[in-house]
Amino acid sequence: MNRPTRRLAAGILIAFALLGLMTTWVQVVAADTYRLDPRNARFNLTQVGKERGLIVTADGQVVARSDPDPGTTGSFIRSYPTGPIFANVVGYSSLLFGEQGLERAYSTELRSRRDLTISDLLSVILGSDLRPLNLQMTLHDSLQRIAFEALGSQAGAVVALEPSTGAVLAMVSTPSYDPNLLVGPDAAAQWQALLTDPRRPLAQRATRELYPPGSTFKTVVSAAAIDSDYATPETMFPDEASFPLPGSTATIENASGGPCSNGVTTNLLSAFVRSCNTTFARLAVELGAETIGSVAERTGFNRDLPFNWTVVESVFPVGVLNDDDAALAQSGIGERDVRATPLQMALVAAAVANQGIVMSPYLVASTFDADGNEVQATEPAEFDSAFSLDTSQVLAQMMERVVTEGTGRQAAVPGVRVAGKTGTATGVEGRPHAWFIGFAPVEAPTIAIAVLVEAAGESASGGGVAAPIAQTVISGWLNR
Amino acid sequence: MTRTAESGMLVGAAGLAAFGVTLVLLAGGETIDSRIGLTFAVMLAAFGAVHMAIRRWAASASTIILPPAALLTAIGLAEIHRLDPVRAGLQQWWLLIASALTVALLLFLHRRGTATIRRYRYLYLAAGLVLLLLPLLPSAGPLPLRGFEVNGSRLWLLVDLGLAEIRFQPGEIVKLLMVLFLAGYLAERQSALAERPRKLGPFEFPEPRQLFPVVAVWAVSLLVLVVQRDLGASALLFGAFIGMIYAATGRPAYLVIGALLTGAAGYAAYNLFDHVGRRVLAWIQPFQNYEDAGYQVAQAWFGMGTGSLAGSGIGLGRPDLIPNAATDFIFAAVAEELGFAGSLAVLAAFALLIGVGFGIALRSRDRFRKLTAAGLTWVLGLQAFLIIGGVLRLVPLTGITLPFMSYGGSSLVGNFLLLGLLARVSHEEPA
Repeated sequence: MNRPTRRLAAGILIAFALLGLMTTWVQVVAADTYRLDPRNARFNLTQVGKERGLIVTADGQVVARSDPDPGTTGSFIRSYPTGPIFANVVGYSSLLFGEQGLERAYSTELRSRRDLTISDLLSVILGSDLRPLNLQMTLHDSLQRIAFEALGSQAGAVVALEPSTGAVLAMVSTPSYDPNLLVGPDAAAQWQALLTDPRRPLAQRATRELYPPGSTFKTVVSAAAIDSDYATPETMFPDEASFPLPGSTATIENASGGPCSNGVTTNLLSAFVRSCNTTFARLAVELGAETIGSVAERTGFNRDLPFNWTVVESVFPVGVLNDDDAALAQSGIGERDVRATPLQMALVAAAVANQGIVMSPYLVASTFDADGNEVQATEPAEFDSAFSLDTSQVLAQMMERVVTEGTGRQAAVPGVRVAGKTGTATGVEGRPHAWFIGFAPVEAPTIAIAVLVEAAGESASGGGVAAPIAQTVISGWLNR
Repeated sequence: MTRTAESGMLVGAAGLAAFGVTLVLLAGGETIDSRIGLTFAVMLAAFGAVHMAIRRWAASASTIILPPAALLTAIGLAEIHRLDPVRAGLQQWWLLIASALTVALLLFLHRRGTATIRRYRYLYLAAGLVLLLLPLLPSAGPLPLRGFEVNGSRLWLLVDLGLAEIRFQPGEIVKLLMVLFLAGYLAERQSALAERPRKLGPFEFPEPRQLFPVVAVWAVSLLVLVVQRDLGASALLFGAFIGMIYAATGRPAYLVIGALLTGAAGYAAYNLFDHVGRRVLAWIQPFQNYEDAGYQVAQAWFGMGTGSLAGSGIGLGRPDLIPNAATDFIFAAVAEELGFAGSLAVLAAFALLIGVGFGIALRSRDRFRKLTAAGLTWVLGLQAFLIIGGVLRLVPLTGITLPFMSYGGSSLVGNFLLLGLLARVSHEEPA
């Protein structure tokens, strides 16, 4: 009778050994998986009231800081002195709603390491600094404010880059929100209000929303035509009032409703400057999805862009368009199946400005410690080579003509050579999205820009709505 | 180990509880107050009284029964204090009541011996069944006894004394009565149950007539599951029964039959009852069902993972984020705040207690006492395994208390009495 009892004992003790193994798994082997799960609020809760690092702009404006809490000694309250202007870049660090933006991307650097843990104690003994690190952004407060005010009450986004490095100079998304509300006493109600606001103030329009790029995409199609030696600016095309979609009774028409030029022939340059839909629909079909897709992908379409957070992937679906010329024709004018983020379209402009080389975009120039010493600086990195130097120079000339005599005249800055391309894309309920992408000065570009105004007025166009905003930002940058 | 060494360890456990409460107060930014001394005094009084009773009335009992139980109680008390100071105060009252009842039990057994217990085995069966059914009494009525539901399970009994109401889970006492009944019953019937005239393929089965009690207990367990919706008590009762019948007969066929019946009941329950389905979901995919059924387990795992090796320190973690942390999920709360080290200490203390209990069973020459000791230890071990295993996702979550650690008076009383019985058996069968 002792044998079964012994077996029962062995059974339950083995079961306890399994419990030991299981807790080893949860608490040792895979502990970090559960500790760092975004739904695990424990880490954030330990950070409540702790000091976080400063976030400052390239021109020295503090956009996030920790103020001593007047109520509790040794405790801090996060504040965002610039309110909504930098909200889509800096984000927030909230007990209740987690972290967003740079507060999230640089959470490890920004947090205080004074946690009273054994490893912290050891660090102090070994002489390391437990104070939080600070961030110096590439963005300029002055330019950001100009872009924010230029968008005004319109929904949209502005992205401005330094073409030679990829450093983001300004990145605005409107309507915005005041991140201070999310750390205040009324945070939960404010959060609910933001979530349910039909204007979607929490949306990061510059990097995490997709729009049809409209005619700004003709820049990519032109680049493909020129880079593949299929066409030059002088190559002649029929000047049609409408282009019949292959395999369909539907047609593509020009914005004017009639032909672009004399009704007989037009060249690529003229079609680009006047943004002829019929010409580019035909050109897209003639080039084929592979040729266009190859250039598009080298500027960042269909790829994960290296950035401070996950950027929504812009789309040019080569596989689908290979078998569907009608869709390809529509996609050639930036409609149908093409989708892009404003950041992606800024990269297209920057590629032209930077001799065909696309630089990886970034928001933070460096981290520095509490004594002001630089800890780590971001090295500009090449993302890809989109097209040749020659192609970029030809495209730059074509884009300059858009601003001097074409659809983008309202982007012109007196005394500066500005290049650009407008776009008016299918929007919401008859209100189109207005686009402008461009760069300046043409001879030595220091700024590349993409402007998007979401669902602008009923008769709005990229040239009428987006180009003036680009003009304001470019002149603000060059006259700073 | 001498009795004096045992008493020293009990004082140590009382000190540990008081130290735990001190840390909780300091971590909460509170001033040190009388609750520390009170915790120490209550622990000392409760375990001291049982210790003295054993010295006096069960002098030959093993000295390793009380210390691991005291350690578990101390850790549990400190953690409950951290989660809910009001409940910690109530738990201390229950500790004193449990201790007093155990002293009374030891005195009774000193007068009459365990042999008396064996004589009244059918009384326990009847009492056990009545107790199981009591929570089904109407929740509003003229009777001073009323049943009621908590969290959808009807396993509570409310005793209205006019001046005060006592809430009690009879299931915790039923498991003791069940062990005592089975020990008596099986000690008598062992040989008949061990017969194996029937062969089915490679398996040998007992005479069908002998299987009747197996099926009867299975039916009662199912009743508990269906009517009271109490997965834990149901699994524990049936598991205890199968373990004891195996211990008595040595026939693995009973384990096989038990596993098959458990599987069948579990499968049917999974398909029939929402709350069982939710438990299974929480077991298999807690993180995919985080918003709903999986929340509790997921939070427990977040806490345990955050606690990691050394834990956050008692009072410095956030086990309050885990629903029912003070009762079903006390292991997760301790694991979060005391870390992997604390988890292993708890598991080791249980393993030690189980080892000692089975040791007593193995050394017993009398069949009834052997089965009693084995049964009590098995029930204790199985209960601890079911709930810790539920938290750690080794088995589906059943929702029973962790002996000595969870908040709950019935559980403390039941498990203290279990210790008293074990001590008495150990005294009657000295090593």
